[in-house]
Amino acid sequence: MDESRAARLVQAVLRCYPARWRRRHGHEAAELAALLIRDGTPAGSIARSYLAGAVREWLTPRPGRRLSAVACALLAAACLLGVSGGLLASAGPARAAGTSQAHPRAHCRPGSPDPAPAPGRPQVIVRVAGHGRSC
Amino acid sequence: MAVGRRDGRAGQDVLRRAGEASVLILISLAGGPKHGYALIQDIKELAGIQLGPGTLYGALDRLERLGLIEPLPAEDRRHPYRITAPGAAALRAHLDAVERVSAAGRLRLQLGGS
Repeated sequence: MDESRAARLVQAVLRCYPARWRRRHGHEAAELAALLIRDGTPAGSIARSYLAGAVREWLTPRPGRRLSAVACALLAAACLLGVSGGLLASAGPARAAGTSQAHPRAHCRPGSPDPAPAPGRPQVIVRVAGHGRSC
Repeated sequence: MAVGRRDGRAGQDVLRRAGEASVLILISLAGGPKHGYALIQDIKELAGIQLGPGTLYGALDRLERLGLIEPLPAEDRRHPYRITAPGAAALRAHLDAVERVSAAGRLRLQLGGS
């Protein structure tokens, strides 16, 4: 996986954390991931670790935050789908060669001009709770 | 905190259920303040274990909530942490407990002839 793709995958997973966590650790976490990738740690393994951390972060009770079990389950499922999609999208072009690509722009996040996906690669976007947010 | 009450000495080993990552982080910070990347590198050298970054931040937050570590002023984007006095005491108590169990295990292995 090239560096920019790995960085995008990690950024996608970091967006699964609560805003409070991202404000505090977000920049450092992205930098730490870049350093670990530079040292040879697979980006997928870093993304999995952050994903598990994000799920734990949401499920850990905090004073003043109440989150229903249904919301937790939906969030965890959305995060899992997002990372699975990211991993699939970053798989070899041979795997993606036979897949069709239907209106990729139609699902883009409003206001964020995402670059067009590389030819022959599927683009997977998960919409979380109706906010049109990629995860 | 309910940890450490099994032997009737409440508060003795608050790290008993904190998990391996928390103990390794405290051991690493006992050698001086460190930020996330330095912690991962130090623990890898120390114990041969590479902590995942998600595990690391989860454990840091937990230890901070328990008052066992505290953040230092940020250096650029990095947030160093240092062990607190209660953290050092908790680590000492935990290592003592592990040593007692370890000694008992070795003794039983000798007595059992294994």
